[in-house]
Amino acid sequence: MSIDPRDDLGPGRRGLLGGAAAVAAGLGLAGCGSDGGGEGEHKARRKGQKITLTFWSWVPGIDKSVDLWNRENPEVRINLEKVSAVNGAQYAKMHASIKAGNPPDLGQIEYPVVPSFLLDNGLLDLTAYGVERHRGSFVGWQWQQSVFGKGVYAIPQASGPMGLFIRRDLFDEWGIDTPRTWDDYEAAAKAVRKRGSWIETFSTTNGNRFAGLAWQAGARWFGTAGDTWTVGIDDEPTRKVADFWDALVRQKLVKTIPDRQNAWYKDIQTGRMAAWLGASWGDALLAGNAPKTAGKWRVVPMPQWRKGEAAYANWGGSTTAVFSATRYPADALAFALWLNTDPRSVKLLIDGGYGFPSVKSGFDLADLDVRKDFFGGQAYSEVFAEAGRGVDTSWQWGPAVDALYQRLGDAFTAALDGGGSFRSVLRKVQGQTIQDLKDKGLKVAAA
Amino acid sequence: MRRPTRTEARAARTAALFLLPFLALFALCFLAPLGYAIQQSLLRVERTGPLGLGGETREVWAGFANYSHALHDDGFTAGFARVLLFGAVQIPVMIAFATGLALLLDAASARWVGFFRTAFFLPYGVPGVIASILWGFLYVPGISPLHEMAHSVGWDIDFLSRDAVLWSIANIVTWQFTGYNMLVLIAQLKAVPTELYEAARIDGANAWQVARYVKLPLIRPALVLTTVFSLIGTLQLFAEPMVLRPLTNSIDSGYTPNLHAYNQAFTSDNQHIAAAEAVLLALVACVLSFGFLRLVGQRPRRPKAARRGTPVRRRARGGAR
Repeated sequence: MSIDPRDDLGPGRRGLLGGAAAVAAGLGLAGCGSDGGGEGEHKARRKGQKITLTFWSWVPGIDKSVDLWNRENPEVRINLEKVSAVNGAQYAKMHASIKAGNPPDLGQIEYPVVPSFLLDNGLLDLTAYGVERHRGSFVGWQWQQSVFGKGVYAIPQASGPMGLFIRRDLFDEWGIDTPRTWDDYEAAAKAVRKRGSWIETFSTTNGNRFAGLAWQAGARWFGTAGDTWTVGIDDEPTRKVADFWDALVRQKLVKTIPDRQNAWYKDIQTGRMAAWLGASWGDALLAGNAPKTAGKWRVVPMPQWRKGEAAYANWGGSTTAVFSATRYPADALAFALWLNTDPRSVKLLIDGGYGFPSVKSGFDLADLDVRKDFFGGQAYSEVFAEAGRGVDTSWQWGPAVDALYQRLGDAFTAALDGGGSFRSVLRKVQGQTIQDLKDKGLKVAAA
Repeated sequence: MRRPTRTEARAARTAALFLLPFLALFALCFLAPLGYAIQQSLLRVERTGPLGLGGETREVWAGFANYSHALHDDGFTAGFARVLLFGAVQIPVMIAFATGLALLLDAASARWVGFFRTAFFLPYGVPGVIASILWGFLYVPGISPLHEMAHSVGWDIDFLSRDAVLWSIANIVTWQFTGYNMLVLIAQLKAVPTELYEAARIDGANAWQVARYVKLPLIRPALVLTTVFSLIGTLQLFAEPMVLRPLTNSIDSGYTPNLHAYNQAFTSDNQHIAAAEAVLLALVACVLSFGFLRLVGQRPRRPKAARRGTPVRRRARGGAR
């Protein structure tokens, strides 16, 4: 059955009918009403009909899960196309494809950028296809990252609870204690510097990590008040974070090179950099790029603002979203759910290093210690699991986060060049972000 | 104006037939995108629905608001200043280099001309992105052998620092395009009738004088051409800063006007503002190229003349010149 998009039904009705049809033919789920609706010509697959769905992703090892699905579901073939994740190139491609009217059926989208795609009406509201039934399978706050209004726009895949990677051997050799608080961290940075190395880098262009640091300190960059977006980048917690790193940079206690690039890898390999404030998915990154340092690394909890607190944050993590132009929404959703809940698929994704599963069950925490040897036998996933429990779950992302990161990067770069303090960066970016959202035709106010 | 004769009319029809494939492609690949960009630059998006999500989005007339937005964006205008500075230094250096190489290879005493010509031209065959990646490796501290060498003689240079990175990009561009420009100049040198050299030699000119007083004035049109191409290329600088950007914090998102427009379109998802910026960039390129041509006293062939005159009359005029 096909619903003609040109007919006179409102989008709500259309979504509902499409959903009902999908329910009948596809998943056998109970349909729910919906406010949103797709723009594509949604169809339900006839029994026995063979279709191919396109899926854009960059997660290492996800091809193994896709292969498994394709072996077991010959009628719904998933055609995985790898996209580049360098500097947001994948989202550039997705936005352009939406504009051009030929997006893939499914895509890998990180939590912060989900709202940007909603502005394009690029993602399908999955509530019409019975997605609510699966809410309980996933970690609550991660599910919530894709909920806007009454709509659910993506299936959570993984998160990236943050932690501190340290070179245990160097810290021991130099007699430096594991930093528990940010004051400790500053002291450790000084001590490491005395030995000629650096504790790490403050990459001016890494908006994701800075957001994580602000998140930990209790910031609320985005919120909604009725019909209006609120923006609060220049809030007290974020200022505290900015002042802290400003001081480290001015004292030359941290480098300012970009992280996860050649020069940084070199520093990590040679011990010129003795720590990295990273996230759970960083295990694969370190093990893959500095194999000769195996056994010397450990994971410790992120330093705290006050001794004894347990406030943590998240860096990265993404969803599997269904684009609104897909012709077979029910099948696309079925794959997205299977990919992120089927224990075999989750195991394959864990082995590939995709992060911390968003699904609650079907795996053991110990499964996540994929690179135990690299961390000297430490059951390091427990550190990240603890961090995951301490993430402030009320954090919300807003539209145009990519643009915000770019604004932050440009302003931090200018500040390093003598253009002012990090605090002035926040003031500037706060103003720019409000203007950016206004330019997009949104209602916006300062928080 | 007199009516064209039948022969002339037939000639015009034949000409039109031959021109058709070109004009069709020109319209499809050049005029249509240009028109689309201009149209997009005059629109903006209006959103409805709670929080701007899930409602209808439609494009409404924006007038010149996008242009004004672009011109008030410091990042965008700073990019122009940067590429102009870049061009003022890099283009003369590169053209001088290319001219020198062309003259050397064209000199009577040159040996292994074919080999050197190919060798100098080879970098042009390397795509800009690949060239930037290659040079990127040579620039990154800790990996670069250049860096190591400089360090071993006590010279600590950071090719990717805020002050140096523009000239590191200039180096890539020079490396890539000197050979190409050299080839254009050599082609023009080859077109110089050998009698002129003979005459000069009989008059007692040495090799240097031949180069200075015979060759250089004669390849002036090629020099102008390569300079204009370089000028346009400089304004459109994109691949090099784009590729080097992840390696350093010194290149911001609006480092060149093209990069700014790209990021507006694809990072910030503001296609309409990006379209306005692209149109502005094209305008500046137009003004600068034609301005330069006027400055050196050589006007591009007027399409007006072609439209007014019949083919026969045009030929007659060309012959008279």
